[in-house]
Amino acid sequence: MPEIEFTLEGISKAYGDLLVFSGLSLEVKANRIVAFLGPSGCGKTTLLSIIAGLKAPDQGRVTGLAEKSLSYLFQEPRLLDWLTVAQNLSFVLQDKIPRAKLPGRINYYLEQMEILPYRDVYPRKLSGGQRQRVAMARALAYPSRLLLMDEPFKSLDLSLKWDLITRFRQIWAAAPRTVLLVTHDPKEALLLAHEIYLLSPKPAVIKGHYEVGLSLDERKPDALPLLQLEQQITAALIRD
Amino acid sequence: MPDSTCRNRVITVASFLTLLLGWHGAAALIGKEIILPNPAATLQRLVQLMISGGFWSHLAATLSRGLMGFTLSYLAGLIVGLLSGINRNFKDFFHLWLTVIRSTPTMALILLALIWFQAETVTLFVTFLVVFPLITQNVAEGISQINPDLKEMARLYRVPFPTVLLRMYLPAILPYLATGAAAGLGLTWKVIIAAEILAYPKLGIGARMDTARTYLETPEVFAWTVVVIAISLFFDRILQHLIRKQLLYWE
Repeated sequence: MPEIEFTLEGISKAYGDLLVFSGLSLEVKANRIVAFLGPSGCGKTTLLSIIAGLKAPDQGRVTGLAEKSLSYLFQEPRLLDWLTVAQNLSFVLQDKIPRAKLPGRINYYLEQMEILPYRDVYPRKLSGGQRQRVAMARALAYPSRLLLMDEPFKSLDLSLKWDLITRFRQIWAAAPRTVLLVTHDPKEALLLAHEIYLLSPKPAVIKGHYEVGLSLDERKPDALPLLQLEQQITAALIRD
Repeated sequence: MPDSTCRNRVITVASFLTLLLGWHGAAALIGKEIILPNPAATLQRLVQLMISGGFWSHLAATLSRGLMGFTLSYLAGLIVGLLSGINRNFKDFFHLWLTVIRSTPTMALILLALIWFQAETVTLFVTFLVVFPLITQNVAEGISQINPDLKEMARLYRVPFPTVLLRMYLPAILPYLATGAAAGLGLTWKVIIAAEILAYPKLGIGARMDTARTYLETPEVFAWTVVVIAISLFFDRILQHLIRKQLLYWE
């Protein structure tokens, strides 16, 4: 039984009269990739914000997260325009990684995200997809216990998406950490996650919880068990 | 591009010539050098001044006073502006002070300073009180324009404050720092001359202007005015050049 990374107990959150969560509880185990799947606007981003400590829940408790380091991959790249690609990584890393190891680490993650040739370029010169890969390299290079990802593959084309998902799995396997992935795309969730939570529209409750049995290496877009699970999940999503 | 630069230059020259011509015409019409000396008389007086002994020490005195006052105001404005931009409490605290200082007429500041201080301190004090609020406001404004998403990113990645300051805040407010510098330095020369006229330091362009006025040496007043305009334009040019070269290099 793997140890528990953190738990949410009876989380409620409202913006004015709009109830986003009402008594949401769940448990995330350490070193697992957990996907939250739900329709747009169901409060997935709010969930990540609460876990990251950016927003406080109106009711309920988050336990197990105090003082844990986390990486956050936002929906937008959030790069500093006046720093080069490499400097953007070093902005978050320079106080966490010994100076001698810094360039090697930065280059390694840029290489993994296939963006190394652009290491000395300013973000404004990059395409949207390239910037998102820089943001992903930054999130992965940062030494964190938790990695929170909000629709990380949204702006990428299909083949690049598949390519980066594969690389992401390799990087994760080399140094596992707990990953929370928020998405509205069942395929993405199935290719990456060990378990999937299905969220309903607001106020969001957990409609389903799926364990994906296949090991990460066996996950291909055309793997039969994945396709069957995808049908189930899609059907569940469409039902309401 | 060369076409428009050329066209620009032609217009600038035409504008300058028209100004000179208008000045000359007005002087001829009035016909009294004591009221309005013509450009030639002004230039002649300027050359005389430059080869006479005192000119360069007066110029140096005003320049060093101006640059000193500006530098002090800029540094203080930068610090207070950063504090106000980063922390709401600081902002609210300094808001009242800055509003009071900004609303006080410059002449009132000079008069009070004359009562309190020596001539040398008067000019610094007044320059500081006029320029410092301007810089503070620019810097605070710049900080408040930084995308909150970026601040959130830095907070989530627990980037320590010195790194955030040096690599995020300062580069982000560079355009504001530059406009603040240009506006502040332009203001400095105006204020320093006013302060010198009233405080009357031993060396200084303002004091010379007032002496010339007392003796009804209007061409000399004009000659010194031309010097001040030249100083102002010179520094403005330097700043514009730096701004165009160094700013927004990442675009």
